[in-house]
Amino acid sequence: MAESCVLGCESEELKFQMEPSGNSLKKLERKMRKCHAVVEKETGIPCSTSNPTKNVVVCNSGLSNGLTEEVVMESFMSFGTLDRIIMLPGKSCCFVVFKNLANAKDAFEHINGKLKIAQDNKPILLGYSETLPAVRPIDFRVKPPGLKVVPDFISEAEEELLLSLVNFDEDEGGDGVMKHRQVKHFGFEFRYDINNVDKDAPLEVGVPAECDFLWDRLKSRGLDFRPDQLTVNHYKPGQGIPPHVDTHSAFDEPLLSVSLSSDIVMDFRHRNGKHLPVFVPRRSLTIMNGESRYDWTHGITPRKLDVVPSEKGITANERGVRVSFTFRRIRQGECECIYKSLCDSHRRKAEDISNEIAAKLESTHVHQVYEDIADHFNETRHKPWPNVLDFVLSMKPGSIVVDIGCGNGKYMGINKNVFDMGCDRSFNLLDLCVESGYNVFNCNCLSVPLRDGIADGVICIAVIHHLANEERRKQSISEMIRVLRVGGRALIYVWAKDQNYYRKSSYLKQNRKNRKDETDITEQDEIKFSFDRVTLPIHTNRKQFLHQDLFVPWKLLNEGTISDEFLRYYHVFEENELDYLVRTFDDVEVIESYYEQGNWCIVFEKVK
Amino acid sequence: MRLGLTPAFLVKIVSSVVLIPARSVHKSELVKMKLLTHNMLTSKSMKGVTVGYPLGINVVDIKVTEVDFNPEFISRIIPKLDWSVLWKAADTIGQLDDLPKELSQEYENDNDFLKKVHHVLLEVDIVNGELVCPETGRKFPINNGIPNMLLNEDEV
Repeated sequence: MAESCVLGCESEELKFQMEPSGNSLKKLERKMRKCHAVVEKETGIPCSTSNPTKNVVVCNSGLSNGLTEEVVMESFMSFGTLDRIIMLPGKSCCFVVFKNLANAKDAFEHINGKLKIAQDNKPILLGYSETLPAVRPIDFRVKPPGLKVVPDFISEAEEELLLSLVNFDEDEGGDGVMKHRQVKHFGFEFRYDINNVDKDAPLEVGVPAECDFLWDRLKSRGLDFRPDQLTVNHYKPGQGIPPHVDTHSAFDEPLLSVSLSSDIVMDFRHRNGKHLPVFVPRRSLTIMNGESRYDWTHGITPRKLDVVPSEKGITANERGVRVSFTFRRIRQGECECIYKSLCDSHRRKAEDISNEIAAKLESTHVHQVYEDIADHFNETRHKPWPNVLDFVLSMKPGSIVVDIGCGNGKYMGINKNVFDMGCDRSFNLLDLCVESGYNVFNCNCLSVPLRDGIADGVICIAVIHHLANEERRKQSISEMIRVLRVGGRALIYVWAKDQNYYRKSSYLKQNRKNRKDETDITEQDEIKFSFDRVTLPIHTNRKQFLHQDLFVPWKLLNEGTISDEFLRYYHVFEENELDYLVRTFDDVEVIESYYEQGNWCIVFEKVK
Repeated sequence: MRLGLTPAFLVKIVSSVVLIPARSVHKSELVKMKLLTHNMLTSKSMKGVTVGYPLGINVVDIKVTEVDFNPEFISRIIPKLDWSVLWKAADTIGQLDDLPKELSQEYENDNDFLKKVHHVLLEVDIVNGELVCPETGRKFPINNGIPNMLLNEDEV
C-alpha cells in the first residue's frame, strides 16, 4: 500500500513524477532490480542500468497491461530517432531501440521512474539490454483446426439491419446484464445456471426472419444451415467473456457468429497449452466446426485494446462497442463427439454414482482410509504448495480463515495474525493437528458447522476430488461460499486428470521410468475393483490418469516392503471442470484459475 | 452465580478449572476448543434446524493457558463476534471476570478491556465437554479439545 503511494498516482495532473529523494531513490532502485529480473524471466533477456546500450527496455509496461506502440512512440521520439519498437504480445515489457547511444541515455535519464504511462498512471521503469527478443509477430493466419473466419461476410447496411433487431438500453438489458456483458436470446434461452438450454421450453420469439438472408448466402457458398437459436451479446470496451466451450450437449456443430460494430481478438486455447489469438473483424462470419468447436475453449479477454495485425507487424487497436450474433442449432439427444475432455455428455455417462452409493464409497474408500494411513500420511505431507502459502499469508491481520479438509494442519499456524480454524473428516488427522496446537473440529465438508459469512478466507486443498459425484462436489463449494463473508476469498486445489499439462508434474517425475520415456499403459492392462454397484479402475501410481473416477492405492511400507495397501477413491478433474463448478454459483467471481504441478486451482471471491 | 441470566440451554454441569502458570508452554499442551471457535459454530445444517445458534456448552473440564496478547488482533476480531453469545458462554464456564455485557464504543483504545476479551477468546480452552443444539438438544461431544460436529446421513 505504502509503496504504491511513493511511486503512485495521487497527482494525476502531473505526468512526471517529482524528483525522488534519497530514500525513495533506494526504493526505486529496488523496484527496478525486481523489474529487471521479471524481464529476464519473461523474455530471457538480461537488462541492467549500469551498461547503457541503444536498447531501452520498458520493464513494467507492455501490451499486456495496456501500453500501446503509439504511446511508446510518442514518449520516446522526442529524444532522438527510433530504430524500432518491439511490443511483445502478452508481455508486460517492451523494447525501444534508438539509432544512437547518446539519445538512448538521454531518454533513460529523463524518463526512468518518472514518466507515468504504466498501468494506473504509474511511472515506467527502464533498463538497458545487450540483446533484443527475436520478434515473431503473431501469425493471425494460424487458427485452430475447424475454425473459419470469413471477412466482409455482410455489408454495412446489413450490419445496421441486424443491430436494429436488438435494443440494448442502459436500463433494460435484454435477458440479463451479465457480470461482463449484456445478452439476449431468441428461439431458446441459454441458461447460465445450468449451462444448457431447456430444450422443452422454446421462447415465444424465434430467430428473427430478418436474418434469413444469411442462410441464403451460406447456401450459395455450399453450407446448408438454419439455426433455431440465437444469442446476441453486447460488449462494451473492456468487457469480455471467460474462456468456455459451448456446452456439447446443448448445440450441434457448426457454431456461427457474426461480429458487428467492432473488431475483436478472440482467444482460443487448447488443453495442450496452445493459445491462438484469432482476429475477428467487424462484419465477418466465424464458423466453428470439429476440433475448434469441441476441443478448444474460446473467450474474449476483458481489455480495451487488442493486438491486431498491421502493416509493420502488430499494433494495438482500441475496441469499440461490439455486438455478436451467435447462431446455433439445438442438439437432440446427447453429444457423441470424440473430444471427450470438454464433453458434458461424456462426463455424465462416466459419472452416474448415486448419492447413496457415493456416501458409502466415500465412507469406505476415503474416510476409513485416511484413518488408517493418518500417521504415514503425516510423514509424507510436509511440503506446502507455495501458492497456498501466499494465499494464507495474504490474509489481513484479524482475519478468520477456515481450512476445510485441513488434514494434518499443513497450512495452519502459518499466518500468525489470523485466527485459523481447521476441520476434517478424519479423527486421527485432527489428533495430529491438536498436537501441533491448532483449532480444529470434526465435520464433513458437505455440511460445515459454521455460521454464514464469518470467514474472510477459505482454503480447501486436495479435498473435493474425494467426493463421488458432481452434486456433492457442488454442495461442498456452496458450503465454502456460505461461510465466506462478501468480499472474502476461497482457494481450492484438486487433482488434475492431466498430470502432464505443461510438462511432467513432479508426481509423474517420481517414477524413474517416466523420466526416460513415456511408457503409457493401455486400458487393457487395467485392474478394476468393484464396490457395491460401482466398478472402477485401480490407478497405477506415477502414471497419467486414464479415467476421471478411480481408485488410487496408498501403500504402507514396512522395512522396505509393502505391508498394506489401501484404495482411495478419487475423481480427478478435467481442465475447466473446477471453473465450471464454481461458475454455476452467481454470487462469486473467479479471480484466477491455474494449473500447478498436477492440480487445478481456483481463487474466487464472494461478491454478493 | 447469576443463574437468572443464564438461558436454559446454556447448562453448566461441572467446571474443573486447571490453571497453567504463566510460562512458555510446549505446543502439544495446547489442546483447545476456544470460545472464539464456539462463537462461530452452529448446528444449522441439521435437518429441521433453522438457526442452530448459539450452541449450548456443557463443560467437563477447561484449561487456561497463557497466550501472547496482540491488541490489534483482538480489536479486529471483535466486530466479527456475536458479543452477547461470547458473554453468555464466558459466564457459563465461569470465566466472565467482569467482562461487560455491552460492548463499549471505543474498545480499540481500552487495553484492559482488550486483555479481558483476549483471555476469554484465546486463553480459555474447553478440553472435554459437549456442545448442544439449541433447537433439537442434539449433543456434540468435545474430546481432547476437538468438537465432533459430524452428522449422520439421516440428520442432514
